[in-house]
Amino acid sequence: MTTNELKKMADRLRLDVVETIHYVKDGHPGPCMSIAEIITVLYFSEMNIRPEEPRWPLRDRIILSKGHACPIQYAAMARRGYFDMDELKKLRTLEGILQGHPDMNKTPGIDSVSGSLGNGVGIGLGIALGCRMQGIDNYVYVIVGDGEQQEGVVWEAAMAAAKHKAGNLIVLADCNNNQSGGKVTELSSLYPAYEKWNSFQWHVQIIDGHDVEAIKNAIANARAVKDRPSYIECRTVKGKNIPYMENNNAWHKRVPTAEEVEIARKSLGGAI
Amino acid sequence: MTVKSTREAAIRALIEMAEQDERIVIVSPDSLLASRAVPFLERFPHRFIEVGIAEQNAVLVAAGLATTGMKPVVISYAGFLTMRACEQIRTFVAYPGLDVKFIGLNGGMLGGEREGVTHQFYEDVGILRSMPGVSVITPADAGQAYKAAKAMLLRTGPCYLRLGSGREPEVFPDDTPFEFGKIRIVKHYGDNVAIFASGFIMNRAVTALDQLKQEGINGLLADVSTVKPIDEKSVVEILQRTNCAVAVEDHNIYGGMSSAICEVSALYHPCRIIRLGLNDIYPRSGHADDLLDAYGLSVQSIVDGAKKAMNSQTAV
Repeated sequence: MTTNELKKMADRLRLDVVETIHYVKDGHPGPCMSIAEIITVLYFSEMNIRPEEPRWPLRDRIILSKGHACPIQYAAMARRGYFDMDELKKLRTLEGILQGHPDMNKTPGIDSVSGSLGNGVGIGLGIALGCRMQGIDNYVYVIVGDGEQQEGVVWEAAMAAAKHKAGNLIVLADCNNNQSGGKVTELSSLYPAYEKWNSFQWHVQIIDGHDVEAIKNAIANARAVKDRPSYIECRTVKGKNIPYMENNNAWHKRVPTAEEVEIARKSLGGAI
Repeated sequence: MTVKSTREAAIRALIEMAEQDERIVIVSPDSLLASRAVPFLERFPHRFIEVGIAEQNAVLVAAGLATTGMKPVVISYAGFLTMRACEQIRTFVAYPGLDVKFIGLNGGMLGGEREGVTHQFYEDVGILRSMPGVSVITPADAGQAYKAAKAMLLRTGPCYLRLGSGREPEVFPDDTPFEFGKIRIVKHYGDNVAIFASGFIMNRAVTALDQLKQEGINGLLADVSTVKPIDEKSVVEILQRTNCAVAVEDHNIYGGMSSAICEVSALYHPCRIIRLGLNDIYPRSGHADDLLDAYGLSVQSIVDGAKKAMNSQTAV
């Protein structure tokens, strides 16, 4: 995909999320919007995956540690062909294969359970070590929120990953400075995050998390570092590209009305 | 009575199994020395993953390894695993049904003995028994721990093996079989009363059964080495014969083996069952035998419990 196509796909996924959450009447829209470009670049450009063979042993892996943002991951997976788009309409229902938070057994293509915050980096480290031990030349991508880095186990994993020189582990942090209860900087500040990860001996980059070229370049840089895990701090906006959601934490978990869906459709450039 | 280390026995089993199965790895939250795993590290240096004093991350790393097809074994103190990393075991191993094994050290008062409450763990079995999909094995001595560790590694899915301090009384002859999920009758003098026992207090249960016999009460002793899944058929068959029982374990009286026995009894064969364990209190530091005696797990307590079970007139 070209840069322009990736940008359009990110907005297409945003609209999928708004429509899905409106339809099923439950979910977290705001946290999806800040990772739209990250998810798009991974699924449509950078990850070596086979949607027709979801458990292909040599594939790259992805863990959405901030699992409540799974509607946008599901939308990307549906558009990559892991399952029908119609599954999105059964999100969070007994009839569907899409759980409220990612489930590796019920949804083809999900590599780990996630959603209990703080645990993705440790799981990613285990996968990275397991693949390396078996001679698999791949990458493990973990998308973490900034708020969830308040969990201590993130730092247990960060310490151990550096010790094990897990160069195949790449963490992309969605740094939108919002969490369920308010601003990350006010509740218990992670920032400056860069210095923390750097002092844990990770390779660290800071980028605009909505710039698809910047995300691609940062991933390429991270892959080139073989003896250290990588942390890419993606500066993002919660609710990005949907005017009434941007930086409005009321949209952490909320269902858009039909009118709000229409506003989102217009602001995202129509049905695209 | 001879004592032998359940820790060394389990590591011996792990090494033998790892020789045949290259997927087996140990994940260690600084448990190399405590688990007596140095021989494993020397034999398989690349299959021993040290993560530092970080039990939650150890379980997560194990879960990640298991998704790639490895067969990780996490070894730590029973409470640090089942309490500190409780959610990681439940959500990231048990829920997806990953093939991760757990070995908990210092199980029970006996396991932690002089260390005190911070290092004695009598809730582990109850915690894990409440998690769907997790099997729980509580061997009685080193010989059984060796066989149980092997049986655990031959199975697929989450499983917990409870070990002790490394100074466990040897109870069973070397050729004693171990079968996962089965209750074994250790001694059978008669059907007056049943003693269900699990773990490293088995020697006391054997002595109590013999003492009861000397007093004219002929009972049977059942070794409940797998607490989950509980061997319902054997529990019912035994209770149908005796109509009363005492259940003995080095665990809080809530949630452990005796709870499992009572659950089966309530459903299929209600009868009087006296539960002996830690009576819902925190004990203290002490020498192992003194501790067990002080907190209701003496031989005399088991004898008295059996008599109480036989007396249908006992009031609340």
